[in-house]
Amino acid sequence: MTSIAAARTEGWRRTLRDPALFATVITFLDGGQITLGNLVAILRDGNHRQAFWNSLLLAALVGLCGTGLGFLYAFAAVRANLSRAWITALDAASLLPLVSPPFTSAIAMIFSFGPRGLITYHLLGIKGFTVYGLHSTLFSETLTYFPIAYLTLKPILAAIDPNVEDMAFSLGSSRWRVFRTVTLPLTVPGLANAFLLLFAASLADFATPLILAGNSFPVLPTQAYLQITGLFDLKGGAVLSFVLLVPALVVYLLQRYWVSRKYYVTITGKVGALTTIKSLAPWARAPLLSACLLLAGVILYFYVLLFYASVVVALGANHAWTWRHYQVIFTEGLKAIRDTLAIAGAGMPLGGLYGILLGYLVAKKIFPGRQAMEIVSMINYSLPGTIVGIAYLIAFNDPPIVLTGTGLIIVACYVFRYSPTGIRATVALLQQIDPSIEEASQGLGAGSGTTFRRITLPLILPAFFAGLGVVFIRSMTAISATIFLVSINWTLITVRILENMTELSLGPAAAFSILVVVIVFVVIAAISGLLRRFRTPGALEVTSILGG
Amino acid sequence: MSAVGIRIESISKRFAHRVKGEVYAVRDVNLTVQPAELLTLLGPSGCGKTTTLRMIAGFEQPDAGRVFIGEQDVTGLMANRRNIGFVFQNYALFPHLSVFENVAYGLRVQRQSEQEIAQAVGDVLALVGLQGYDRQFPNQLSGGEQQRVALARAIVIRPRVLLFDEPLSNLDAKLRVHMRGELRELQQRLHITAVYVTHDQEEAMAISDRIAVMHQGQIVQEGTAEDLYRRPDSEFVAQFIGRTNLLSGRVQSAGLGGIELEVAGRHLRLSGDAARVTGGQIVRLVVRPEVIELRPADSGDGIPGTIASRTFLGEKAEYQVRVGADLLQVTSYNPVQRGLFSVGQPVTLHFPAEGIQLLPGGPA
Repeated sequence: MTSIAAARTEGWRRTLRDPALFATVITFLDGGQITLGNLVAILRDGNHRQAFWNSLLLAALVGLCGTGLGFLYAFAAVRANLSRAWITALDAASLLPLVSPPFTSAIAMIFSFGPRGLITYHLLGIKGFTVYGLHSTLFSETLTYFPIAYLTLKPILAAIDPNVEDMAFSLGSSRWRVFRTVTLPLTVPGLANAFLLLFAASLADFATPLILAGNSFPVLPTQAYLQITGLFDLKGGAVLSFVLLVPALVVYLLQRYWVSRKYYVTITGKVGALTTIKSLAPWARAPLLSACLLLAGVILYFYVLLFYASVVVALGANHAWTWRHYQVIFTEGLKAIRDTLAIAGAGMPLGGLYGILLGYLVAKKIFPGRQAMEIVSMINYSLPGTIVGIAYLIAFNDPPIVLTGTGLIIVACYVFRYSPTGIRATVALLQQIDPSIEEASQGLGAGSGTTFRRITLPLILPAFFAGLGVVFIRSMTAISATIFLVSINWTLITVRILENMTELSLGPAAAFSILVVVIVFVVIAAISGLLRRFRTPGALEVTSILGG
Repeated sequence: MSAVGIRIESISKRFAHRVKGEVYAVRDVNLTVQPAELLTLLGPSGCGKTTTLRMIAGFEQPDAGRVFIGEQDVTGLMANRRNIGFVFQNYALFPHLSVFENVAYGLRVQRQSEQEIAQAVGDVLALVGLQGYDRQFPNQLSGGEQQRVALARAIVIRPRVLLFDEPLSNLDAKLRVHMRGELRELQQRLHITAVYVTHDQEEAMAISDRIAVMHQGQIVQEGTAEDLYRRPDSEFVAQFIGRTNLLSGRVQSAGLGGIELEVAGRHLRLSGDAARVTGGQIVRLVVRPEVIELRPADSGDGIPGTIASRTFLGEKAEYQVRVGADLLQVTSYNPVQRGLFSVGQPVTLHFPAEGIQLLPGGPA
């Protein structure tokens, strides 16, 4: 690169402070010259084109199946007159995949249906069943991501006033007709949103296909990863992930400018008399619940299997009890555990603070360009992790800011990437606080500082905990972005699990996964406890610390 | 502490409107509230009454004009420097604080001692009838109880003036009537100057010493409830305060003997201030429904009409009577003894010489 070209690159970098945007520019830079040649070269490769279409196909299928399952689940939860215990059970089952490392279900798939799988080989005695390919990737991703659809659809279904359905009944509609003409149309924007969320999640997931897709079904994120880690071709990886950027941005724009406008507000004035929900025919209840139970059962089975695999010598071959795998992860793997906890621990308060700070600035409309800031922070969130990871890698590889190889880059990546939950929770809470509440404080003689400290801050505290919780969970479980950022000095549990998987040491991988799930559960419980303790009866609520 | 008055000198407030451009929410309003008086700003929504109140409180700053509380010019002063008590329409209780802490808030801002705070909060909660509610949270209270907490919170700091922004509009009808009595009693007991905003004319009449009626950002008339009802000086006030019939008439002669009018082709004589009208002038007659007397059709020289509808309400009956092209509202008290008219029945309407207000102009 000539010095002029280098200077030009540097200029570009200054203008593009956001690493993600920077990566997209890098793909077009060839010796400092903007060119489409990189892109054309990639697209000419049939293998890569195939991977592109495979990615889209997989994402679309995951979107469809996951949205279907999520709807089934949400419908059962809010429209089947279930008791509290039932709903808690459904919620718990859907929570498991959300707080696990992304390939837990993939590992369980291998254990069940792999070459020596418990179900295919041992139970059914099928020889030569290939677990690798579209079918199992789809199954595993659907199971992993359907809770997102569930969490998206549940509040929407719950918001449909049963009296509206009653009205349709009173006009002579049958149940099926009410469902078709009232309930479903009101849910359509939610379904679209859920589909897009799942589509994006699947598009970004590279861990599951890495383990389950095999050679016959290459997808883009995996290709990009292999390009960089296998062939040390940073630019090639960046170009591949740039290709991924196109559908990701389409999804993002659809969500932001189309779906968000389609939401119906069911205007019913005062909440009418409580009515029992009649949308579900009695005969349909049993099959619906059975389907949900089956799904919950599969999830539970996967986790029990994972635990079992972590305490036997070798699942499928030698089922003798042993703590060896845990000994391994607490000796050889101790560094990864320490590093992960250190990074998650550092990211947690930073992420919480960053979330409420930005949320406050956005909601209070204090500075110009806040919308741009909001969009940039959201893009950081909606882009596939592979792109973000590569972007951070490139952006902080050279002066002025060299962070590659440090723990700081991982912390920064988590804080910025997963801050939108905290930001959105803060904005949502602030929007719920009527301006008159702050005026009341002012009228009683309090200055703006006192009002913020004594009124506003306590009211947005739940958002702080939500933001902090999500950053912690993701720091423990995410891999797609940070796999490019780990180094000899700093490594992560999730990366170790992946290494274990590729080395076929499945026992330690299972033990690591169980450890992550346990830690995350303990921390979530602690945060919920804190929230309950600090939350006075009247304080506002954050709907879910995992939403979105 | 002796009560202080409020004086507003030609204040205006403009807002940017998306369609109409810049519009006046309040335009050149002058108002004086006497010490310990309860004055109500009454008007339909969007008339500028709440904006006026918020400018007195300091939540909005006027674009022009000055606001005085007592002799102090408070224009430009933030709300937290004005020592006011404000009761919001939605109460604006702090949801994360208990009843005790809500009420204690203003005292804590003043850095009073714990002992003083406990004493003052206890006293004021007793005053509003909420003993024993200290540890409850706002969402555990009924609407009426929340209202009382909001009131206690506003008065505990011993403000110079109390400002109410439609405080009763979120309560149901029965409680509203009860609470307005309590508010009035408390205001008199505390001997404090109060400004009260409402769109409910009955509430305004029940609670106020004086009422200022606002319309399109301006005060159109002020006076006691009786003044406004008996002597409205515009059609707007006549129609906004109480129910009314508006009839057009032509003055035939005005002299010492009273005013001779021609109304609906009939001759009518009123006693009244003849100096305000001249012969030949077109006038509008403000005729309250209860001053019209209905008699059977063939009884004397009243205006003939036909009963179009009847609503029997026990202590009174409300009729709509067709007179020519007009429908007049007539209220008849004690109808059981005085006899009911039935729909379709021809009647004559008798207007008393007193109790009818003449307004100039109007369509002929």
